[in-house]
Amino acid sequence: MAIGRSVPMRDAEARVRGTVAYLADLRLPGMLTAKVVRSPFPHARIRRLDPRPALRIPGVVAILTAEDFNRPGAPRLFYGVDRKDQPVVARDRVRYVGEPVAAIVAETAEAAEEAAQAIEVEYEELPAVFDPLAATKPEAPQVHEDCPGNVFLHTRLRHGDLEAGFAAADLIVEETYTTPPACHVALEPHGVIAQWADGRLTVWSATQAPFVVQETLAELFGLPREAVRVIVPPLGGGYGGKGYVRLEPLAAALAWKVGGRPVRLILERSEEFVTLTRHAACIRIRTGVRRDGTLTARQVEVYWGAGAYADITPRLLRGAGLVRVVGPYRIPAVHVDAYGVYTNLPPAGPFRGTMSFEGAWAYESHMDTIAHELGMDPLELRRRNLLRPGDRFCTGEVIEEAFFLECLEAAVRCVGWDQPYEKGEGGRRRGRGLAVMMKSTLPRSRSECRLVLWADGVLELHTGTVEMGQGAHTALAQIAAAETGIPLERVQVIGPDTDRVPYDATTSASRSTSMMGTAIREAALRLKEEMRRRAAPLLEADPEELILQGTGVMVRGRPEVWIAWEDVLRRHGLEALEAHGVFETQGGLDPETGQGIASPHWHQGAGACEVEVDIETGKVRILRYCAAAYAGRVINPALATLQNEGNVVFGLGQALMEQILFDQGQPVNANMSDYQIPSLRDLPEVLESVLLESPEGSIHGLGEMTLPPVAPAIANAIFDAVGVRIRDLPITPEKIWRALHGE
Amino acid sequence: MANRERFALHVNGQIHVVEAEPARRLLDVLRADLGLTSVREGCGIGVCGACTVLMDGRPVSSCLLLVSQVHGQPIVTVEGLGGNGALHPVQQAFVEHFAFQCAYCTPGFILSIVAWLEQTSGQDPESLEEYLSGNLCRCGSYRNILKAAWAAARNREPSRL
Repeated sequence: MAIGRSVPMRDAEARVRGTVAYLADLRLPGMLTAKVVRSPFPHARIRRLDPRPALRIPGVVAILTAEDFNRPGAPRLFYGVDRKDQPVVARDRVRYVGEPVAAIVAETAEAAEEAAQAIEVEYEELPAVFDPLAATKPEAPQVHEDCPGNVFLHTRLRHGDLEAGFAAADLIVEETYTTPPACHVALEPHGVIAQWADGRLTVWSATQAPFVVQETLAELFGLPREAVRVIVPPLGGGYGGKGYVRLEPLAAALAWKVGGRPVRLILERSEEFVTLTRHAACIRIRTGVRRDGTLTARQVEVYWGAGAYADITPRLLRGAGLVRVVGPYRIPAVHVDAYGVYTNLPPAGPFRGTMSFEGAWAYESHMDTIAHELGMDPLELRRRNLLRPGDRFCTGEVIEEAFFLECLEAAVRCVGWDQPYEKGEGGRRRGRGLAVMMKSTLPRSRSECRLVLWADGVLELHTGTVEMGQGAHTALAQIAAAETGIPLERVQVIGPDTDRVPYDATTSASRSTSMMGTAIREAALRLKEEMRRRAAPLLEADPEELILQGTGVMVRGRPEVWIAWEDVLRRHGLEALEAHGVFETQGGLDPETGQGIASPHWHQGAGACEVEVDIETGKVRILRYCAAAYAGRVINPALATLQNEGNVVFGLGQALMEQILFDQGQPVNANMSDYQIPSLRDLPEVLESVLLESPEGSIHGLGEMTLPPVAPAIANAIFDAVGVRIRDLPITPEKIWRALHGE
Repeated sequence: MANRERFALHVNGQIHVVEAEPARRLLDVLRADLGLTSVREGCGIGVCGACTVLMDGRPVSSCLLLVSQVHGQPIVTVEGLGGNGALHPVQQAFVEHFAFQCAYCTPGFILSIVAWLEQTSGQDPESLEEYLSGNLCRCGSYRNILKAAWAAARNREPSRL
């Protein structure tokens, strides 16, 4: 059986030989190099932009400015998933430090660099605002002319009678939590190559969303979708940062300007920090609870700092931004108000654990505060309130697969939660913490695939799922092998290439193994049906009598009457047999009430840890961490575990280290020395991974589930150790030290 | 344009003569001029280790070295590991222990482990951590990387112990 086996990644050998060709390794004849000229101000009017001095530099081929757009035959300037508020290059105003104001194409990187320095731009600085909460105040500078108050979207979730819920409470706890902008720091930076030929645009892009890129570019250039081809090489990490549309409009416009030669744009590390960030979030959470620990009401107000452009935030706010901040609890009354707020910072967007990370940071820290005030064990408080199968969530939907408590109990077992615990004395104190989370995946999204069985017995899987290190192509090939019965060695994965593979919404939200996997199953069923139909006359039997076995077809009960698949094709004179598979999820929430179907199924994860706090320095050591996820049916245990461990390592960075620091809008740590990500030395001394399986369960994604609990589990353990509650991420030694010293 | 000079580089057992500006980074020479694309730019400031190569057996960041600073010292990239098309034992261990995800950082880690095995007893966890502290894996495959390193250490040819 191809499912449930730890087979190595399909191109494992190429990965260890270093021969995997990432975007930066592609070489096209005549390829030119691009460079972006960026705004040095967080908010300013562009008074004058003169590209002429740069054009005189030898090797410079073209310069792109806003003047090139919105003319007959020219591309449109503005794009955006929902609000078309973002210019490809700034027109008369810049709204964040690092915003593109022009771009250069040159024969060499050196010429492009020199030209970038030579372009003359005069700015008139404007007042700017950086904090999402401050941006909503009446006196705040306005980031967009058409958006007074800077709130571009306010969505609501209304469930139950909030007043009655609070009235029924013995205790009401209110807190505010914040998370700062952070950077994905994929080791491979964003990169695109764009080329025009015969009115067609081809784009090679390190993107997680080839079909979104295709649609956006078609719209910008006024082309039919089919005139844009997007090809995606393997990604050197994505984590959401390469989701949706990033550099592609800029690269495509540059290529359009130069005519036929390919143009390559690869970001420098410093540019990564101003390309896409995690949301700066401010979460106010207020909960009513009875003395026995029963939750009666919860009110959450979230300000999602989206930066200067809305990007994907409006779409997120209609689902994720509401339901991912409540927590996996049975609460009779829940109100959520989510605000999408413009600020003068780089745009924010998807980020591994999107909005669940921020949500869980608030609600899971908050749960421990409540437990503390009630004098109750934090595990017990959760045990009384966690959603169980058949419970109704605050969106009104019934949760059938609910294993939150099982995840939590599996995690706490590793840290011996029910054992007596010695916290230590003197300079080093120990503590334990736990956290659990629920995360929605995308409702109303579609995955399609094609299976092509060739006469030589090779099965091709055509899929738009992006391989970014998560092992998706391996897991999907395993599913294709299992569902068709064709040996895994004979399965080849083709794509993503929008010319060759059918539609897929995006590789994000841990949806691929589950959704593309289901589409593959559909396609396999059809392929087998078609095979039976074709084999029937050859075996002189009814299709219904036929069963597929191994790589052949036989008559039920008569194994001697058998024909190989290859022979079926050959006898029909067919080169190949094709089948299409589609899987689409329904649902969506009412924008006024947040009621409806938020997710086709729910991602569930928990963490528990033991930490040691040095009270002299505020430094935290993670002695033990256990991450438990509900995995449903596991396709590849080794790769699944790797995802689960990756969540913890990634989460440790988010919890303890990572924040893009802005000083008046200027990023001051936009390099990997000042912005640190976890190294081997930052690992917990013991790291345990638990995947809860259910053979009858559905396939669940695993790339995020145990990430959001990391920060609150650690914060809760710190509180247990030294009685200090940190509410603003990241949890730095300085914050702990200051809190310990009453500052 | 600054003056180009000729440099003889000893890479993966072969001599390559390249013409380059003296201030050109070794990273760029290896990637662009010699086509050794396993050497990758991550941070550009010697922090992430994606551009690690072995120079005289020592792991170094090729983004911090200029071509003119290399004076005949032998340079090894993962393209130069193994022999006759076979995987080097460390590469083999990486496959067996699922020691990578996106694999952008993988060649750098493999070279650091090769250096650890060749320059130390290959038995000391502290020294392994030391050798790997200059390589970053954003996907978080560290535990499996350690497992692979220890497996490679156990399987070392006895003659080299």
